[in-house]
Amino acid sequence: MARAKIKRGSTSVDMTPMCDVAFLLLTFFILAAQFKPQDALNVTPPSSVSNKLAPQKNFLNVTIDKNNKVFLDMDQKLKGPVLEELGKERNMTFSPQDVKDFENSPYVGVPLSQLTQFIKLTPEQIKKTDVPGIPVDSTNNELAAWISAAKTISMGDQLNFLIKGDDAAKYPTFKAVVDAFKQNDEYKYNLVTNAKQVPEGSELYKKNLTEQLEGKKPVVK
Amino acid sequence: MAEMEVKESSKKGPGVKKSKKHSTRVDLTPMVDLGFLLITFFIFTTTVQQPTSMNLNMPKDTKDPNLDMKVKESGSLTLLLGKGNVIYYYEGNDPSKMQTTTYKDVRKIILDKKKSTPAADLFLIIKPDKDASYKNAVDILDEMDINDIGKYAMVDPTPDEYGKIQQTEVAAGIK
Repeated sequence: MARAKIKRGSTSVDMTPMCDVAFLLLTFFILAAQFKPQDALNVTPPSSVSNKLAPQKNFLNVTIDKNNKVFLDMDQKLKGPVLEELGKERNMTFSPQDVKDFENSPYVGVPLSQLTQFIKLTPEQIKKTDVPGIPVDSTNNELAAWISAAKTISMGDQLNFLIKGDDAAKYPTFKAVVDAFKQNDEYKYNLVTNAKQVPEGSELYKKNLTEQLEGKKPVVK
Repeated sequence: MAEMEVKESSKKGPGVKKSKKHSTRVDLTPMVDLGFLLITFFIFTTTVQQPTSMNLNMPKDTKDPNLDMKVKESGSLTLLLGKGNVIYYYEGNDPSKMQTTTYKDVRKIILDKKKSTPAADLFLIIKPDKDASYKNAVDILDEMDINDIGKYAMVDPTPDEYGKIQQTEVAAGIK
């Protein structure tokens, strides 16, 4: 009787090591995953066939949300110098504490006049308040001032200009953003999009196919 | 907790003690299942969320008419992006021949034009109006990539064209 019982027990495999491995991997992937801080802004970008990854370094990201408000965020290392440069250009003074606050704030979403109050808010407080966005009208285009400051401090360095618009954003706002860049003589932008498959049978599809057959790299546009 | 209860009533005989030893082992299979399910979920979500970007090069604004690009009338196709995901288009230089299409069917129109004109003459003019969305603009730029159109420009519609679009929109009841 006792022997038979032991045999039965041996049919079940010990799952503990497997469980350990599974959760170890799980922990690894959770920790390795990059969480986006700008998720505070709820924006659904349109999709495009472009397969080029958006640059993650030395970038200046302009976001247009569905209510046509414009927000700006940038590479962490650019933040401090940009604010100081902007202060010089606009005759505004920022205390070291302000610069620190600015480096910790997720994005700029207010006119310059409200900036010092805005950067003191925590992400939770920002969510609760109605953020007005950066003015981009032709009369008062503050976005252009930000871009100009960023250009000045990154003398010679290639800046990547990302524009991330919501599906529902209106074209005039996008045009105003482009105008702000144009005022600073910048004509090359990266529009952030979701990747989508190239439609089969289309011209680009054929082009990619022939280039692949010839052993070249697929077209990166 | 269940074990504790067994312990209290286990003083009766040796058989009960043996079954108690077995019950200390928890079946970990469901837990492993859950673990791997979560792993799969995280792998999929992390790879999908990588944003891509589309390059856009805008020309420099010039006030000098001599620097304006000359476009052959026979080779031009004008696409006007209007309200409610509708495209208005006309060939050449005559806005009165304006026709309506959608984002799904525009590819055929572009390809037809591409086939019927010499490659050097082909020029597409994209005119998003005030009511077009950002998605519309990106979609049409993407369409240029898909159909391998090398030469195109993005400009504002003339007041005349905008008026015509609005008339059509009112007539068609597009809000």
